[in-house]
Formats: sequence, structure tokens, C-alpha cells
Amino acid sequence: MVDLTLLTPELTLVGTGLVVLSIGLFLNTNAKKILSYLASLGILASLVLVLTNLGNGGMLFNETLSFDALSQFFKIVFLSVALLVSIASIKYTEGNSHTEEFYSLLIFATVGMMFVASANDLIVLFVAFELASLATYALAGFEKKNPLSLEASMKYFMIGALSAALMLFGISFIYGATGTTSIPGVAENINILLGSPIGLLSVVLMIAGLGFKIALVPFHMWAPDTYQGSPSVVSSLLAAGSKKMGFVAAFKVFMVGLIALQAEWTTAFALLAVITMTLGNIVALSQNSVKRMLAYSSVAQAGYITMSFVVMSKTALAGAILYALSHGFMKAGAFIATAAVIYMVLSEKKDSEMPDHIDNFRGLGKRMPITALCMTIFLFALAGIPLTAGYMSKFVLFASTIEAGLVWLAVIAILNSAISLFYYARVVKYMYFLSSEGEKIAEPVPYTVAMIIAAIFVLAIGFWSEPFIYWAMEAAKVLI
Amino acid sequence: MAIENMAFLIPVLPALAFVLTFFLGKKLPNGGAIIPIIAIFTSFVISLLITMNLLQNPGQVVSQSYNWFAILNVGILIDPLAAVMLSMVSFVSLLIHIYAVGYMSHDKAQPRYFAETALFTAAMLGVVLSDNILQFFVCWELVGLCSYLLIGFWFEKPSAASAAKKAFLTTRVGDVMFLAGIILLFADIFKIFNGSIPQGVYVLRFDEIFSHIPEIAALNTQIFGFEVSHLTLITLLFFGGAVGKSGQFPLHVWLPDAMEGPTTVSALIHAATMVTAGVYLVARTFPMFIAAPYSLLIVAYIGAFTALFAATMGLVMNDIKRILAYSTISQLGYMMLGLGMGAVIGITAVGDSLFHLINHAFFKALLFLCAGSVIHAVGTQDIRQMGGVGKVMPITFATMLIASLALAGFGIPGTSIGVSGFFSKDPIIEAAYLFGESTENWFPYLFSIVAALLTSIYIFRLIFMTFTGKPRTSYGGHESPAVMTVPLIILGLLALVFGALTKTSFGNFLKETFGNNFVSIDIHALAEMGEYHLASHGSGSEPLIILWMPVIVAFAGLLISYLIYGMRILDMSSIVSRNNPIYKLLYNRYYQNAIYTEFLAVKVVYEGLSLAGRSIDRGFDWLVNFIGHIFMELADGLRQLQTGVVQNYATAVITGVSLLVILLKLIMEVF
Repeated sequence: MVDLTLLTPELTLVGTGLVVLSIGLFLNTNAKKILSYLASLGILASLVLVLTNLGNGGMLFNETLSFDALSQFFKIVFLSVALLVSIASIKYTEGNSHTEEFYSLLIFATVGMMFVASANDLIVLFVAFELASLATYALAGFEKKNPLSLEASMKYFMIGALSAALMLFGISFIYGATGTTSIPGVAENINILLGSPIGLLSVVLMIAGLGFKIALVPFHMWAPDTYQGSPSVVSSLLAAGSKKMGFVAAFKVFMVGLIALQAEWTTAFALLAVITMTLGNIVALSQNSVKRMLAYSSVAQAGYITMSFVVMSKTALAGAILYALSHGFMKAGAFIATAAVIYMVLSEKKDSEMPDHIDNFRGLGKRMPITALCMTIFLFALAGIPLTAGYMSKFVLFASTIEAGLVWLAVIAILNSAISLFYYARVVKYMYFLSSEGEKIAEPVPYTVAMIIAAIFVLAIGFWSEPFIYWAMEAAKVLI
Repeated sequence: MAIENMAFLIPVLPALAFVLTFFLGKKLPNGGAIIPIIAIFTSFVISLLITMNLLQNPGQVVSQSYNWFAILNVGILIDPLAAVMLSMVSFVSLLIHIYAVGYMSHDKAQPRYFAETALFTAAMLGVVLSDNILQFFVCWELVGLCSYLLIGFWFEKPSAASAAKKAFLTTRVGDVMFLAGIILLFADIFKIFNGSIPQGVYVLRFDEIFSHIPEIAALNTQIFGFEVSHLTLITLLFFGGAVGKSGQFPLHVWLPDAMEGPTTVSALIHAATMVTAGVYLVARTFPMFIAAPYSLLIVAYIGAFTALFAATMGLVMNDIKRILAYSTISQLGYMMLGLGMGAVIGITAVGDSLFHLINHAFFKALLFLCAGSVIHAVGTQDIRQMGGVGKVMPITFATMLIASLALAGFGIPGTSIGVSGFFSKDPIIEAAYLFGESTENWFPYLFSIVAALLTSIYIFRLIFMTFTGKPRTSYGGHESPAVMTVPLIILGLLALVFGALTKTSFGNFLKETFGNNFVSIDIHALAEMGEYHLASHGSGSEPLIILWMPVIVAFAGLLISYLIYGMRILDMSSIVSRNNPIYKLLYNRYYQNAIYTEFLAVKVVYEGLSLAGRSIDRGFDWLVNFIGHIFMELADGLRQLQTGVVQNYATAVITGVSLLVILLKLIMEVF
């Protein structure tokens, strides 16, 4: 009999998802609000279970799943983001007859991400990856009467399918050469791939497949369209959660499985990191859609995190892992704040062309003070202003880069941060320094609750960063 | 729950009051004044209870530390020094808040006023109970910020806005020095530990700093060819901060201008929440000062000189608040001098100086509140337009008279008869005499005794001009309401008897500051390091004439003032004229404005540096705009790549994969 204690968080989530889905069949639309609370509770319970299991570790199912500090850390990231999204969606799904589908998809996507975090085998990793991906494809197209949402979903799906093919192609090469799909097993039998063109090819294919989720340039092009077109709460899940799944998978595949090919992938990641952060930041400058701006910003942030693959020191990894956590809160919060603004715009004018246009943020400081304040915190955090989580993560990451002697990379990253301040501060300027005729409106409670939770964590990590850094350090030890 | 565990509430409650008043004040009567009053009252009660506990058992101080990050902490330290300061600050601030309910009743911006004064008080309380120099500095800066906001409270008045700026910028000069001192100190301690700090050691906590004094003193740096000990350097940088905050020469120029705020704010700044921070900083780090050669001497000289210098200017001012402002500067000079006298009397200096600080807080707050009461009633600040106010405002007159007697220091040496200022100023002057005796250096003593004479003259000039004689202009004065007079009476009583009641216990209590469960310091050993020769016998054994001298000059001052301004026997018109160069020099305040503003600020900084900088800046502006322009163009160009056609995206992915393979292959071949 296998001891399933370690698996209880995942099982809880699956159970919640199924219950939500099946109860939803028997409820009329007005009563479905209960489902959103139920789902949020389920996610919270799962989060609590992960937290209570923090000290325990081990392997399950013929060592295809591993539970360690790294997987626990990322599970907490995914569950926190899912919880924020789920709370915010209480408002979003209000009066929608497909509430149960939304929530079960959200939960299954989260389950997929959690299994990726625990995967110790390439096949398990791939299947879990696809579980999360398929659920999010459907979520992106959740507003099926909205052409933008459908377009977002279709583009996401097509590029996703292509990337999945590439990744599977890469896995097949690796399996062919090493005769195993177990990630530690790959590392042991890597000899045949060393210095061979097959090794190079499989590295590139894996980068392409995972780079799709991470949104590395040039595999990022779906991201702006999808983030903009999908419902904001879903963009929040994609940018804050799904992207981190790409990172944890990449950590496992490259730093554990393909560590012997480090020379190859370090070079590739160095190149991609620089291109990604530069392109993301520069294109973000000229965006007028706030969601699109946030999309490019998250492309840029992916570039920063990717630096850790180049530096490859324990501090750098801790920085990257901490960044994943911080980015989860800041990006999820920023998208939820945008969702609140969109809700405001749409409730005033049903057929607004671009409800997330930056003009709609005018005078937000007066119209929705809490939203504006939280949004300011998130934007400043994303820009890396001190006393926020964003600053602390950037500090650890950049400092480790300098420590490792890669001053050029740190300089590029710091210059990029400087550029990014422009477009973040621009939104703050619109919110506080420009006035609007609109009146003050009541801020929807679920959005506000989710934002405040996220803001508290953004500030807490910034102010009381030591335990978080220590914790990220523990997670990093799993890899190096 | 033990009262010590509530110590953190002392600064937290006023800070909370700030938030509440700021947001809810509009909806409450009197601008929500009741919130800060209750909060500060509670802080005062807690402070007082802790002080009483400490009095029972002075060796057991309150010390609580929590890890902040890495090797730094946040914490609370309430030793005798902090305890008396906490009680005084919260008490005086409480009275001023109550008084302000009446004084500010006509102002529309009451909520902002009470919110800001609450934060001001919270920041000062934070300074006082910090157990490490970094937290101290953070609160110190917060004090500076609040002073800026409050001096510029009536910001629509250009003079208030510029006074606020002046205060902020001038104290900033000192703050930068203070920060530089902290950085140097941190670097030194880091060096002493060879970069590896053991677990649980907080490097900037005072006990840690004090335990490394000998090692810091051993580090030297060459400056202009002189070997200077780091300890001297650090203490002088700290003292630079104190000079700025406590209005010592030459950074005192902001304090008279700070009168532009409401009078209650002046009272807060002068008595409780701001200027004393500098003195407190030196007292707090006294073990470092006494171990650093020359530092205490510089403190003493600057203090003595400031005491005299400010008193001379106080003689000729006609604005009632400005006279008091110069008097504050002068009295702060005495406190600094008192600390500097640690060079001869050791640890007793801290007690002497703090005793004067506390007494001064009472009588100076009283002086300001009385002045506010007069201004409130008469509607002018110019004493030439007053006269005879004492008849319409008897309570104000009586309390103001008490405060003036306290300031001038009347009393009988060797007995317990005297006003509070007498018992605290005398020991400082006597210590200066001892210093002269043991070092043959009589300047501090001369300065302080002459300043005492001038103090008595200018304060009674104010009294006679304002309260006696006949009204020189018609004003419809009336006594202030009870909410204003009751604080006056309470402060008056304290100014009258506090000194006599606590003259011996206070000093004994403060002696425990550096010998308890938190720090235990051998001051004599440190003084030897600092090459100061402590006198073997304490003060009090001087010739009789020396003991009586301060009182004699105080009476002489009263007499001179009475003859000139009360009886008008001596005609001053020949002296008080623009043709008299000395009067002109004083009246123009030693041309400080010309030197600081017109020469330093306008000529050197603005026309010299700033205009030169502007042309350089223009170049940079162009460059920055150009770079920005490039990036925006680039952004517009690059976003064209995003066609929105999904086929193109797929092509990009495949192209990316192919290019990566080729590039990697090439790179791997080359290396």
C-alpha cells in the first residue's frame, strides 16, 4: 500500500473539482455562487495541507513523483495564485451559467501545475504539463461570445500544440539516447548525448517546448494576444501560475536531467534571457492596453528569471525561486486590479471597445481608491522599488549575477529595469495625476479581497524578506 | 501583563492616532483632536509607569529586540535616559495638544494639524526608545519630515513655505553627516568582526557599538595629513547631525524662521519633539564621545558659543516668537555645553544636561504657549505694539513670569529655593568653571556666564514690553479659554517646582544609564582613552562668588531691563539706532541672511553651481530624451513584429528553434 499522505493536497483538489462540477449540474444559475466559495475553500484546504506537510518529503509511484522543498515551494506558489484567482472570480462568474466549468477547469489546471512541480519523470511531466495546458486553453476561451477571447484561446491552443509537439520530440530524443524517462536516470545515462548533435537538438527542442509556457522570445508571441483577449482572471492565472510551471519544469529538466549539457543550454539561455527582457520591456513601452502591457512586462520578467540558468549558483536559483513567488503575487494582483477596472468600465458602458485601455485608469485614485493603491503597490513591485517583493527578488538575483562575475548580464538587467519603470509609472500617473469625470464607485468585494491579500504578501516579502529568502534557498538546494 | 510589555505602544499609539485622525478627523468635532489626545495620554501613562518602575530598580532597564533583517534589529530600550525623555515628550506633547484644541479652533485644516502633530510625537518617541542607531535614524528623519510639514502648515503663505524648506534643507546638512557617521560606524564594526557576524549579534545596537569602542578608536584615517581616530570622526559626524537638529551654530538659522508655523507647532518643536533630539543623540552615544579625543571639547565650544551668540541676537528682536526662538537656541547651547563638560565631570554631565533639557522643555513650552495666548488675544507678534497685556490676561502674565524666572534662573545657591531653570543651569555653569580651573581654559565659562546675563536681559525686556506699561496700540484682548489656560497653569507649576523637587534624585537616576543589565560601561576607562582628565571632586566646592555668580547676573539682567523698559529711566534711543554698528550687526543677525542666503545659497550654489549645472543638465536632458525617443521608436518598430496572425507566430517558433540550433552549434564549435 502506498502512503498517500504526501498526495493529499492534490487529491483534495481533484475531489473539489469533481464535486464542483457534478453539483453544478443540478443547480440553477443563481445558486451557483456557492460553487465559487466551495472551490475557494477546496483550494485553501489544499494550500493548508501543503503547508502542514512542509517538513515531509519522499518519492511516490516508482519514484515518478518526488516531494521535496522545491516542489512544495512551487505548489504553494500555484495554490496561492489559484486561490487569489478563485476569490477574484467569485465576482467574475457571478450570474454565469457555466460557473462549475470555470472552477473545475481552474482547479484541474492547478492540479496539473502541482504535478509538474512534483514530476520526476519526463512522461509524467509532459502529461501533467498538458493537463494544465488543456484546462487553460479552455479557460482562455471562456467568454465564448467574445471574439477576442476565442481568438486568444485559439492562438494559445495552436502555438501550445506546436510547442507540445516540439517538447515531445525533444523527450523522444532524450529517451532514445538514454533509454529512460526518469529525470535522475537521464542524468546518469547522459554520455551518448555529450557533444553529439542529438544532444544539442534535444536541448533546443526542450527549450522551445518549455519556453512557450515561460514566454521566452521568440516563443512568446501568443502571450500578448492571449493575455489581452482572455478574461483578466484567467490572464492572471496564466501569467502568475502557468508561467511558473514552465520554470519549475525547466529547472528539473535542465538542472537535474541535462546538467551534463550545461555548456549548451547556458549559452542558449544567456542569449534568450537578454533578448527576452529587452524585447519585452521595449515593446511594453508603447502599449495602451494595460493587459497587453502587463503581458509584455511578464515576458520581460521571464527574461530576468531566466538569468538564473546562466548564473547557476545557489543564490541565483534562490533569487529565481523567490522571484517566481513574488511575481506570482504581483502579477496576479495586477491582473486582478485590471479586472476590477474592466468590471467598472463594462458596468458603465456595455460595449466598450478596449475596456483595459489606459485612459480608463484616469483618476482611478479617486474613483476606486483601494484598487488604485493596490495596483500602485503591484506596479512598483514589478518595477523593483525597494520595500516590495519585486525589489528583494531582483536584488538577490542581480547580486548573485554580479557575484558570479557576469557583470555584463547584471548591467543589461539593471538597464532593463530602468526602462521598465517608464511604463509602470505611466499607469500610476494616469491613476493619480490625471483626473476623470467618472464618479467614485463601489469596489467589488471579491476583487478587493484578492488584491489586498496579494498586496500584503508583496509588502511582507519586501519588508520581512529573510524567512522567504531562506526558504527559497532550501528549495534551491534540491537542484544544486 | 507587565507594563514593560506594553512599551511598544508608546510610539505606536500616536502613530495609529495619526492614521485615524488623518482619515476620520473631518467627521469628528475639533478635527478629531480627541484621538491623538487619548493616544498620547496613554503613551504618557505607560511611560510614567515604566519610569516609576525604573526608579525602584534603576539597574533593570527595558530592552526588547527583534530581528529585522540580516544583522540589524528593531527594538526598544528604556533606560533612565530614555525614560525621562519619554515621560517628558509625551507629557509636554499632551499639554500642547490640549491647548491646540483652543488655539486651532478657527483653522479649517484641523484634522491635518492633529494628524501631523500626532505623527511628530510618534516619531520623536520612536527616536527616544530606539535601541539601535539605524532605527534611531529612521525615526529622526521622520521627525524632520513632520517638522517640514508642520512649519509649512499654512503653506499658502509664501513665508511659511520657504521657512519649511529652509528648516528641511538646513537640518538635512546635519542628517547627511549623521548618516555618514552611521555608515562609517557600520563599516568599522563589520571590519572588527572580519566580516563574519556571529548569530544573534545586532551590529548597530547600542550595547554592541559601545562594546567595540576601543577597537573603533584604534582605527585611524589620514585627513589632510592628520591621523584622526575613527571614533573621533564618527562622533563628530553624529554631532553634525545634532548640530542641525538642535539648532547649534552654524546650522541654527532654520529655527527662528520655523516660527512661521502655528505657535503650538513652535512649542512642540522647541520643547518636546524636535530640537531636543540632537542633545539626546549626543547623550545616547555619550560613551563614544567621552572615549574620543577632542570630540567633547568641540561639543563644549560649539555649545558655549551658541549659547552666547544666540543670546545676543535675542536682545534686539521685536517679534515675540523670535525672541523665544533665539532663547531656545541659546538654551540648547547650554545643554550641549553641559554634555561637553563630560570632559571634566564624566557621566554626571549627562544628568546635568538632561536635567536642563527637561526643565527647559517645561518652561519653554510654557513660554511659547503663553506667547501663543497673547498672540491669540492681541493679534500681533510685535512686542512694540503690545504693552499692558498683563492687565487683561492675568493668568497668562503670571505663568509667563514664572517661565521667565525659570529661564533666567533665579534661586538661592545651597538651598532648595529656586525655580527649575536655576537648578539645571547652575550645575552646567559650575562645571564650566571646573573645566576652566582644571584646563586653564576659561572660554566656556565666560561665554556661559555672559550668556546668562543676556538671557535675563532679553527675557525681561519681553516681559516689560509686553505685559506692563500702557497699551501702545488698541487691541481688544481677553484672557484665553480654559482649555488653553489650564495647560499653562500645569506647566507653570512644573516650571516652578520641578527643579527643586528632583535636583538630586534626577542626576543619580541618570547615572544608571550606562551601568545596568543592557550596557555596563566603565566611564573612567573610556575617559582615559579620550585623554580627558576628570576632576577628582565634584562641583559645588567652588568659591562662594562663583556659586552666586549666575544668580547675581540674573538679577543684574532683571535690573537693567527694568531700568530701560520698565521705568524707562535709561534712554536707549542712542543705542537702538541704525547708526550704531553693534546694534545694526545684531539687528541684522550678524548678516547671517546675507551670508547664508545671498552669498552661499544664491551666489555660490545657485549662480555658481546650479547655473553651470544647468547647461550640463541641458546636455543630459537632450541625451535622456534622445535615448527615450530611440526606445519609443524601437518599441513602435518591434511591435510591428506582432502581426496578430497565428501562422506567423508558429513560423517564429520554428525559425527560433532552427536559429538556436545553428547558433549553438557555431558557438560550441568556436569555443
